[in-house]
Amino acid sequence: MIEMSHSRTTVVRRELAIAAFLVAFGGAVVAGSRTIEPGVHTDPLGPRAFPMALGAAIVLCGLLLGAVALVFRGQPGRTGPLANEGPDEEAEAGPFSPARLLGAIVATGVYIAAFDRLGYLLATPPYVAAILLIHGGAPRRALLIAPLLLTILFYATFRFGLLIPVPGGMLEAILPW
Amino acid sequence: MSFIESLFAGFAAALQGPGILIMVAGVAWGIIGGAIPGISGAVAMALALPFTFALDASTALVMLAGVWAGANYGGSIPAILVRIPGTPAAAAALLDGYELTRQGHAAKALGVSLICGTIGGLISIFVLIALVLPLGELVLHFGSPETFALALFGLTLIAGLSGPSFLKGFGSGCFGLLLTTVGFDTLTGSLRFTFGRAELMAGIDIVSAMVGLFAVSEMFHQIAHPAGPAVTVVGKAHTAFPTLAELRSVWRATFIGTIVGLIVGIMPGAGATAASFVAYNEARRWSKRPDLFGKGSMEGVAAPETANNAVQGGDLVPTLALGIPGSNSAAIMLAALVLHGIQPGPFLLAKHTHLVYTLFAGLILVNLLMVPVGIVILRLCLLALKLAPPVLVASILTLIVIGAYAGDLFLLNPLLALAFGVIGYGMRVYGFSAAATVLGMVLGVMAESELRRSLIISHGSWAIFVARPASAVLLVLTLGILLYPAVLGAISLWRSRGIVARAADRSARG
Repeated sequence: MIEMSHSRTTVVRRELAIAAFLVAFGGAVVAGSRTIEPGVHTDPLGPRAFPMALGAAIVLCGLLLGAVALVFRGQPGRTGPLANEGPDEEAEAGPFSPARLLGAIVATGVYIAAFDRLGYLLATPPYVAAILLIHGGAPRRALLIAPLLLTILFYATFRFGLLIPVPGGMLEAILPW
Repeated sequence: MSFIESLFAGFAAALQGPGILIMVAGVAWGIIGGAIPGISGAVAMALALPFTFALDASTALVMLAGVWAGANYGGSIPAILVRIPGTPAAAAALLDGYELTRQGHAAKALGVSLICGTIGGLISIFVLIALVLPLGELVLHFGSPETFALALFGLTLIAGLSGPSFLKGFGSGCFGLLLTTVGFDTLTGSLRFTFGRAELMAGIDIVSAMVGLFAVSEMFHQIAHPAGPAVTVVGKAHTAFPTLAELRSVWRATFIGTIVGLIVGIMPGAGATAASFVAYNEARRWSKRPDLFGKGSMEGVAAPETANNAVQGGDLVPTLALGIPGSNSAAIMLAALVLHGIQPGPFLLAKHTHLVYTLFAGLILVNLLMVPVGIVILRLCLLALKLAPPVLVASILTLIVIGAYAGDLFLLNPLLALAFGVIGYGMRVYGFSAAATVLGMVLGVMAESELRRSLIISHGSWAIFVARPASAVLLVLTLGILLYPAVLGAISLWRSRGIVARAADRSARG
């Protein structure tokens, strides 16, 4: 009973936090819309009204979400008729690891930053290896082979198969093609 | 040009050049992608998008239709063989499919899934053709107010059906609409939400956003919630065609699956998963041997698999006739159009008749190709299933980055895909709907431009939206969808308070 009440409180708090975020985001959109330059007058509505209305709609969503969370007090599985829990598939997934998630986001960001400067061929193998390590559970053999194999496979597919220029980066001068 | 001539011209266009090879590649990738748990049909299609850059719009659409059709069948392969559905829609086929495998009839279950799925897919395409053409004629009478009302109606409908929370769905849709306002306003020349960045002047690339919301977020989910080791497939699997007698024994389930798939598919936002479960239950209800369901019934495989494939044709009815995509996969088809410079909307059929007929022909061909490709590709699917999940995730993330870059050789696109991957992951965790956001992005430009155009026509009078019957009806329907959950909530609250009050009254008397 105590556990259920605790979980309901958590759901209500989470829904209220989401509601507050929506109100803040929608408010920022409304404020941002007011700063849009009107431009050439061609229509009665102008360029500000549509984004401003959307911002207001998001604020309204946030307020209603908060109200629903408070009125229905996070009943099990739902916080009211307008706000339910996430999909059931989440329950079937493995335990959440924030470190892995953050690692993957940072690694991908670094990879994109290096993609042009280092070039695809130099940036990709360390990225693939990093993702394999962050994900965990990759066979040791895969750690050695997959980064090189995937890099070459995708390079050949895009560069020679689809004729899409892939950034050469630091290897640009020595690549024969 | 008559209907038959147009359809033949469509077949000729779909088959010209390397058309057949591209269709085979699309179907093969769809089946493999569908067979790998975690890569749904929409993710497989999003990953295939970069490969369509070099193709013309109609070939690209046909290829994506092939991926979609293939993924519908592919999902059932691991469901039947190893009790893990490759796609959520294949979960219903697992109930009897895996039982058949345990009884030594895996090949037959795969055969029933493939043949019945193909039958369902083909019938749904013929119904699509029959429905889209008259609907397209009707939409020709639409002006700006009706088009705006239609966009609003579609968005509200999807927001209500695409997730467990209407408010979060609606908020997600508004977010999608908002994203389309970024960049240069074509009517006034104003810059909106560009934050002084020249890269944002052209707006947010819908393909990168879509790849991020569907594919990158899924990969982040798999990394953040690592599952067990790779799937173990025991023995060698093959596909065995059902005999005529076996097909006769599942005709009722196949018929039910087709009807359910079509109806659910036409309803925007309902999806293949709902269709396959409804079809499974209905087939059990109407079966002569309902006791066999769950214990290895062929009908239990035929009904959900037929429905799953029939959804494609149904889904494409609102997509092609009205410009409202009924599912994530349909939204990706529309994004492919945007990628090739074609604005999706209710006038697609009138403005790009040849393209639509090529798609019709392509859909028939890819559904027919599913049988031979499905048989040949089975071993490759099993190999892909054995691939370690980290290798798969690393491959897909690399492919996404290079694919997003390949669009216009611009680093902003992979960055956008990453940013939308993070947003999509957050939306998934907190119960928002990525599908509604994508729909907002697809409909956004049309919604705003038609709204403003309507007001130009009416000299600023909002009465134009209620003065025209079709627009008024659509707006009333939209209002109904918006108010329905609120009314439902009020009734539920009133009832629960009544129950509490009665209980308190009873305890006070006691």
